[in-house]
Amino acid sequence: MGKLFSSPKLLVIAIAAIAVLLVSVAGGALGASFGLGFLGGPIPFISVPAEQVVSISGYPLLNSTIMFWVGGLALLFVAWRAGRKPKEVPSGWQNLLEVIYEFFSNTVDGVAGGTPKAGRRFLLLVSTIFLVVMIINWVGILPGVGSVGKIETIEQWVHHHAEELEAEVHEAHPDYSAEQVEALVLVHLLEEHGDDTFVVFDGAIVPLGRGEQARVPLNKIVSFTKDDLHTIEEAAEHDALADGEAHEILEAIHHDVEEGVVKSSFIYNEGEDGAKTYDFTGQTAGLLIPYLRGASTDINTTLAIAIVAMFTIQIWGFRALGVRGYGGKFVVNPFTKGPIATFIGLLEGFGEITRTISFTFRLFGNMFAGEILLIAMAFLLPLIGIIPFMGLELFVGVIQAYIFAMLTLVFGVMAVAIHGDHDSHSEDH
Amino acid sequence: MDAETLKPLAAGLAIGLGAIGPGLGIGLLAGKAMEALGRNPEARGPVQQNMILGLAFAEAIAIYALVIAIIILFV
Repeated sequence: MGKLFSSPKLLVIAIAAIAVLLVSVAGGALGASFGLGFLGGPIPFISVPAEQVVSISGYPLLNSTIMFWVGGLALLFVAWRAGRKPKEVPSGWQNLLEVIYEFFSNTVDGVAGGTPKAGRRFLLLVSTIFLVVMIINWVGILPGVGSVGKIETIEQWVHHHAEELEAEVHEAHPDYSAEQVEALVLVHLLEEHGDDTFVVFDGAIVPLGRGEQARVPLNKIVSFTKDDLHTIEEAAEHDALADGEAHEILEAIHHDVEEGVVKSSFIYNEGEDGAKTYDFTGQTAGLLIPYLRGASTDINTTLAIAIVAMFTIQIWGFRALGVRGYGGKFVVNPFTKGPIATFIGLLEGFGEITRTISFTFRLFGNMFAGEILLIAMAFLLPLIGIIPFMGLELFVGVIQAYIFAMLTLVFGVMAVAIHGDHDSHSEDH
Repeated sequence: MDAETLKPLAAGLAIGLGAIGPGLGIGLLAGKAMEALGRNPEARGPVQQNMILGLAFAEAIAIYALVIAIIILFV
């Protein structure tokens, strides 16, 4: 302590660190219970499927796809830097890649039997999976990923959700006109999602300090009652939407949807005695659609890598043992080898499918949970709470990539191993 | 009680019950690895490597439960 006070530089740093800690505790969820919480924002909308950024002539470009490309480009850049001027004694990037290559070269040989070059055929895929998974895990936690995006307004949201419902309604009532279908779809949508909450935007950003729950339910943005919906539904069924009461209500709902702003009736209140009151009247509400999203937090990415891995493992098996040899692991003649062996063969085949699913969910679950963990920490303890978990995410990213690669290797070695349990036993006896 | 009110309860139960098994498994695994390290400190590298691989397998079960909980909550 004496040293700390003797050096003014250290003292300033220590005071600054304590100040940041205090500010973040007061500004976060803890401070919010005492009427502070000036750094708390609304919890963002957590979407399990990846979101569409743009549609390129019908092809939906997802935000996770873009991030996969970013990861690929980053990997390409590293490879380019490493291979630009190869040197006898490696240094820098070249050294890094050579360390990784050497590590995997030794690992595949070790797992595949211990002799040099025993695992050559596994090396390419295993090290590729490791590098790709690691890099997409890492670029997924860069700042800006998941927090910068466009606002989906209520109108777009309704349009987006109505598409699926429209086909459904049209199928149930094929004789309805487009107007009737549209009205019914709107009724269904409001009925089902009336309590869904939307984030309040101030212009183009989400302002801090409104508490982590500052979200507005849909029925405060589009004002309607249960009776209103009932009236529309009835009118739609009798094709009486052109005028009358139902027409007026429908017009009002359409107007609200188009406007997409919070109605005057909603005041967000935090604390028992109303210590913090926010009036969101007239502000735009919607959902944030991030431009970028970590590729491994999309289940399609992890499934694709898992399918590539399992498909290649089957090819290795067939190439090493032949169609009869490798296929004989799964399809066993019940008359010559007995029904139990047939059943075990079937289970083995089923195991290949469950391995694919397990691959998929292990990576997806870990990375998606990590993303939610980071979001939660950013709201519990703003500014600094996220830092140790960023480190954890870097670690988890490598570990999961390593596990994915190692399991591919282990399954591959199992596939090319001669299935000799029963045969060798019968030879022994 | 309607489905909406039961959702948080279901999600909590899913991850809570689903974490029991992996928790036991990870504890056993790490304990055995420590035991092995105590008996044979030279084998630190392989023991650690295999332990992490085993931990990931056990942890994956908890992750499945977590995925179910997330799906219950958000889908």
